[in-house]
Order: sequence, then C-alpha cells, then structure tokens
Amino acid sequence: MPDPVLDVRDLCVAYDGTTVLRDVTLAVAAGEVVALLGPSGSGKTTLLHAVAGFRPPSGGEVRLRGRLAASRSMCEPPERRDVAVVFQHYALWPHLSAADTVAYPARRRGVGKARARVEATELLARLDVGHLAARRPAELSGGEQQRVGLARALARHALLYLFDEPTAHLDTHVRGVFLAELVTRQRDTGAAALYATHDAEEALALADRVVLLSSGRVVQVGTPAEVYAEPADLWAARLTGPASVLTVPDGGQVLVRPEWASLGGEREGKLRSVAFAGPHSDYLVETLDGDVLLRETGTPRAAAGEQVSWTLHRSWPLQAPGEPG
Amino acid sequence: MHRVGTTATPRFLVAVVVGAILLLVVVPLVRLAQVVVDEAGGGLGEILTGAGMTDAVTNTLVLALVVTAISVPLGTGVALILRRPDLPARSLWLVAVLLPVVVPEFVLAYSWTQAYARAGFTDSLLGLAWPGVLGPQGVVAVLVASAVPLTYLLTAVGLAARAEPDLERAARASGAGPATVLRTITLPLLRPSIAAAAILVFVLSLGTFAIPQVMGASAGFDTVTTRIYANLSLGGDPSSFVEAIALALLLVVFAALVVGPADSLLTPRLRATRVAGPPGAPIVPGRPSVSRGLACALGGYLLFTAAIPLVALAAASVTRAVGLPPTPDNWTLGHFSEVLTPRTFEALGRSVVLSAVAATLLVVLGGAVAVLERRRSGRAVSTLVTLTLVLPGSTLAVALLITYGRWVSSALTLILLAYLAKLWAFAHRPISGALDRLPVDEMHAARVSGAGLLTAVRTVALRPLAPALVAAWLICFVTALHEVTMSSLLYGPGTETLAVVVLNSAELGRIGPTAALSVVLTALVAAPVLLCWLAVRLLRGPRSDVAARAVGTSQEPERARA
Repeated sequence: MPDPVLDVRDLCVAYDGTTVLRDVTLAVAAGEVVALLGPSGSGKTTLLHAVAGFRPPSGGEVRLRGRLAASRSMCEPPERRDVAVVFQHYALWPHLSAADTVAYPARRRGVGKARARVEATELLARLDVGHLAARRPAELSGGEQQRVGLARALARHALLYLFDEPTAHLDTHVRGVFLAELVTRQRDTGAAALYATHDAEEALALADRVVLLSSGRVVQVGTPAEVYAEPADLWAARLTGPASVLTVPDGGQVLVRPEWASLGGEREGKLRSVAFAGPHSDYLVETLDGDVLLRETGTPRAAAGEQVSWTLHRSWPLQAPGEPG
Repeated sequence: MHRVGTTATPRFLVAVVVGAILLLVVVPLVRLAQVVVDEAGGGLGEILTGAGMTDAVTNTLVLALVVTAISVPLGTGVALILRRPDLPARSLWLVAVLLPVVVPEFVLAYSWTQAYARAGFTDSLLGLAWPGVLGPQGVVAVLVASAVPLTYLLTAVGLAARAEPDLERAARASGAGPATVLRTITLPLLRPSIAAAAILVFVLSLGTFAIPQVMGASAGFDTVTTRIYANLSLGGDPSSFVEAIALALLLVVFAALVVGPADSLLTPRLRATRVAGPPGAPIVPGRPSVSRGLACALGGYLLFTAAIPLVALAAASVTRAVGLPPTPDNWTLGHFSEVLTPRTFEALGRSVVLSAVAATLLVVLGGAVAVLERRRSGRAVSTLVTLTLVLPGSTLAVALLITYGRWVSSALTLILLAYLAKLWAFAHRPISGALDRLPVDEMHAARVSGAGLLTAVRTVALRPLAPALVAAWLICFVTALHEVTMSSLLYGPGTETLAVVVLNSAELGRIGPTAALSVVLTALVAAPVLLCWLAVRLLRGPRSDVAARAVGTSQEPERARA
C-alpha cells in the first residue's frame, strides 16, 4: 500500500507552554476526504496549521506522502509542502482581483502570466464565478469569496487540501465541483482533503472518515456511519448528533438516536413536548429510564402531556464515566 | 453609516470648535498673507531670491526629500522586524525603538554632536570622530533617527490593521517564499500606510527647526526655519521681518501642495481598514538564526542612533571639561549645580504648568472634534485640524505673533495659543481612533437596558476610552514640553520655557551645562511617560492570553477526566 497522503503521529503543539494538541495521530489516504469534527477550541485550526506549516510541532511528526515535513527539530515552510488551504474567512488579498488571486499559485510555480490567468479564469468559470474575475474581494459576496478562495486552493494543484472550517458551508454545487476535482486529480496525484468543522451534519455528509477532536485529543476515528451509530462515549455521541441516554437494568447507560425508536409499542411514557420541524416531528418522551427523543416523519400524532407507548428498536452501550476514552 | 454620537450634538460644541479654528488658525494665516502683501508689495520676488535664500529653500526641500527617502524604508523595516513574535528580547525592542520620541529632538541633536563630533565621546574614548556630524550629514542622520519611530508606528498600525496573518499564510500556502510574500502581498497591503508616513515625514521635515539649528546652523547649513529664526531673533530691520514672514508662508505653500492632494487621495483608503486578528501568533515559524540576525541589526541601529548619543550626553553632563575622557576621575556634579539655579526652576515650573494646561485644553478640544466629525457636516473640521499639524511651527508662531502680539501682553499666553493650534491633531487622532473602535452595540445595549445617554457614556464608553484620553493628554504634554520651534520665537524676558533655556545654553556653546540641562529635561519627559504608560497598562487590564484564546473556553467537562 502506498504511503498515506498525510500521516500525523503523536503530534503535540503548544502555545507559550500551553499544550493545545496532545499526541494526535491520524492518517489521510489518497482520494480520501477526512472530516475533523470538534467544538470550537478543540484544536482543529491548530492541527491544520501544523499540517500546513504555519505552526511548528512541539512533539511528534507530520509526514506528507511519507516525507517528513515537521517534527520537534525541523519544520518545512508551507511553500515547500504540497498543501493548499481554504481559510476560515477565505483570506482573499484585498489588492488583487479574483483572477490575479487564483493565478497566484501558478505564478509561484513559474507559470507565465498569460497562462496562469487562463487557468485561473477557467477554474473560476467551473465554480460559476467566471464573470467576477475582474472584481476585488470587497466587491464580492461571502459565497463568491468562498468560491474564489476554493479556486485559489485548487490552482495550487496540491496533494492535500485543508479546509479550515469555512464560515459558510460549501453549498451542494461547490462541494460537487470540489469532490469531482478531487476524483480527477486523485488519478494522477492521489489528492486528498482534511476538512475541519464543528457541524456534525456537514462532517457526516462530506467525509469518508470522521476524526473527533476534543481539547486537543483524538477521541474517535471512523466512517460517518460508525461515529454516528457507535460513538466512543457520551461526549462523542452528543457531538455527532441528537442523543438520548437511557439507564439499563444492569446500571449502565445506552445511547438512543431519535430514529432508533418510534411511537406505539410495549413501553410506557409521558409525552413531555412535541416539536414539528416540517419533514419530521420530534417527540420528547419521559420514561422511568430517562428522557428519550423520538423522530418520526409527518405532523405530530400526539400532544404534550399525553401518556404514550413507544418501542426501542436499537441502542448502543455507552462507556461508563471514568473509563479511559 | 450608523456610529456612536449620531444623536444631536450640542450647538455650543460646534461654536467652540469653529471659533477655536478661526481664532487659532484661519485668522492668523490670513493676517500673515495680508502683511506680506502690504509690506513687500511687488518686492516679494526679490526677497525670495535674495542672497542665501535660494540656498535655504533648496536645502529645505532636499533635506525633506532625503530624510523621507531614508526613514520610510527604515521605519517599515523596523515594523516588519518587530512583528516577528520569535524575535529575541522583542518586548525590549518595542520600547527601545520609541525611545527617541521621549527625547526632545534638539536634545537628540545635541547628544549626537556630543557623541560623534571632534573631541566628543567616541573621539576621546576610541579616537573615532565623524566631522560631518555638524553639518548636512548630521542633520539628515538625526532627522532620520527621530523620524523612524513615527514611520515605524504608522506602518506597524497599517500592518496590524491590514495585513491579517491569514493573508500572508494564504500566500505561503500558495507556494510563495517569504521574500515573494513581502513583495506581492505585505508591501502592497501596506502601500497606503507607507504613503501616509512618507507624506507626514516630508511635511514635518520641511518645518523642522531644532535639529538643523543645533547641528547645521554653526556649519553654515541654513534651512527655511533656521533662517526665520535668525531673521526674527537677530535681524533688527523691517526687511528681515518681512523675509521671515514670506518664508513662513512659503512653508505653508509647500506643505499644502503635498498634503492637499495626498489627503484626499489617501484618506478613504486609510479608512477602509479591517480589524486585526489576535496578536502574538507567528504567521509562519521563522528560522531562529534569521530572528537573531535581525535582532542584532536592530540592536546595532539603536546603539548607534540612540544609546551612544544618550550615554555621551550623560557623560558630557558629568565630565569636568570638554576634551577630557569621560572616566570616573573626571566626573563632577558641578554642571548640575551650575545650571539648577532658581531661574532654571522657574523655567521648569513654567514649562510643566504650560504643558499641563495645554494638554488638558487639547484633550477637550480634540474630544470635541472627534465627536463632531462623526456628523457628516463635521468631516471638514477634522481635515482642517489635521492641517494645523503639518503647518510649520515657525509659520504658526509668526502668524500668531503678528495677529495677537499687539493685544496679548503675556508671551506665555501666545505660546499656549501656539501649542493649542499646533497640537490639536495630536489630541484628536487617538480619541477619534478610540471612538471608532467603540462598538455601537455596547452603547445600544446600555441604552435599551435603561441607561440615559450620560449614564451609558459613564458606565460603558468611558472605560474603553480612558486609555485613549490618557494617551492623548500624554502625547500633548510631552510634545509641549519638547517644543522649541514656536516657544523660541515667542518667548520674552522672564517667560522662557525649559526647552528654550536649553537651546539658548547650547547656542552659547556651554557644553557641560547644556548637557546637564538636557539630562534634566529628558528625565522630566521620561518620568511622566513611564508613569502614564503604567497607568494605561493598568486601565487596559490584564491582557487575555493568546494561548487561552487558542485553546478556547468551550472545553467539555466530560473530557476533563482523562
């Protein structure tokens, strides 16, 4: 098997003596999109900065396609790493037009001005912002800025694309264009992406694998289905989607996702509240083992305060507090 | 745009500001022009092309150009170096670079002559002398040394406001090396700040007086300002008076020619700044050897431009006689006891009181303009006030003298008026900047929580504004204490300020006593600066730690166990 595009081992990063990342280990294989999911302050940006070369590690190492990029004793500058970055607030240069911005990476590779511009215009057109090539960032909307920022990253022809929690989610079209690009490029270069976000839905929808990050540590790594259905612990369960916790007879706790239970059946409970959300309705049922959230399609079938029956189709045992994570 | 202070502005505020501008700036300048026309009539051309005049005008223009061309790149370089968080001893350099600001510029000039001239500090210790220090070379060097802190400050503000770290990171991640990033991203982003710094230094160099007077005049290097001084203080005949006035007007014309177009061109772009991100994080880790090298370069620059001259000044103040090596055997406190006479103390008292009164009035006037300019009709007011800053001190002094000299008997009052006119912008800018940063929503939140306007200002706005008010007061106080251009033209018997006493002592060639006086004056300026700097730090409260912000506050308690 070839070397993974990104291989991070036991990475530690400290700011002025405060450790922000502790022993982070993760790998991104060629063609893979890995989501970095964690609340704000969990170290997502720091991890991306360490991978991009904006911040030196205080321990561990970062390897790109098997080659050492950073360790405790060395730190290769960003321009010599084969990475591209889409910044949180896009970081578009206020003095450059969209075309010049997207042509910038090609110019740095030594491509001539005219050719770089042609490539830039073509990339912008593919992202539906070709008509804005002459505009500067101040004259672009947020969504347009995002597309220009993504086009600049694509123009880098990098091995690894880093997304630092774009303020607005990539819309379906932009995401489609990016993933298509990735597939095309994977064939010749083996490109991959690491996408930081605090939004579980976005992470689950976008990624091949999800890395859960909390206070600078990796809590769990798995496919979207795994981290959703089999979270490592209660914290991971709550981070990845709506979670109810029920106490089971042996004293342990189990996780119940809203669609793992339904109304009607042998179990008893009192309907505490009902919320209609368009495609589905959420029912919060008070039971002897704890409150459980159920989700069913359609308009509400019962009213708050009523006694209801319900069925549990599935649950996932949660690690008891105190067990190592 | 909706900003703080858009509610009705009291009419008396408008009246005070407009009245003060008319009284302090407009009327005197009109009167100046009138006198030149009346007295010189058709002879104006002859006066301006008379013997020595062309030289003085050429010297002034060339000097301003050369000083600008050297100090702007230097100051920008210093700002770029000091931005590196990995710079060894960075906090020391941050303070040291601004040192020339608290040293009065004529003291700086004097200390350079003590350091590098024949029989000076380096000559008597190492046998190294730089004869050119008294003359145009020295004038340029000291003007550059005193302009660099200013260009550094302007470009550093530009860096903080416009060059967000992510913009440069994006360039690095696009494949650009450090030098390419500097050329294609950082410097283009800084262009408005650099242009503003260049214009300001050019105009201030046109009107500078103390440094050419101390270092150039004795070597026969005349500038327009030293010529005005010579005409007014030495020349007794009416023609020299007219010449001085004509020269003063000429300075205004030069300044206006540069500032007028530049201001309208640059102001909108300077305003379109962005909020800086959290400081402290390096853009990209640099190599330690590069940082060490840059720290050495900076240290060498500061050693040559500030440390050696100031040590030489201190040495001269305690060395018994000129030419003796500054070793402990030759030390004496005699110069201090000689100069610390009751007359000096009177001058000192006058200086402190005058500066304190000026600074207090200036904070009120500056605050008034800062509030007024937030109204659409008030924009012109702030531009007018900024123009007084670039109005050469000599011109302003002469204009005030011929306008009010007849009615105002006390020279001190005239000097006070001159300070108010000249330093208004110094007080206005920091307050205006702080008002800009005052979030509108916080004021609104206070108002909808039931606070009246005054209560809202007192409880919400005053604390964030306090550092700016202290800073404005301090800048005005220190600048007024330093001031000699206007006070040396306006003082009369018994109304010398301390700075004028030092200048006169230097003119008499009394080296030891002058050095002793300079040390006293510098200490007098440095002490309140240090005190207020501490006060500002305390008012700002503890700075939130970058690390704490990077880690964030939303750590889950469940995860705390492992």
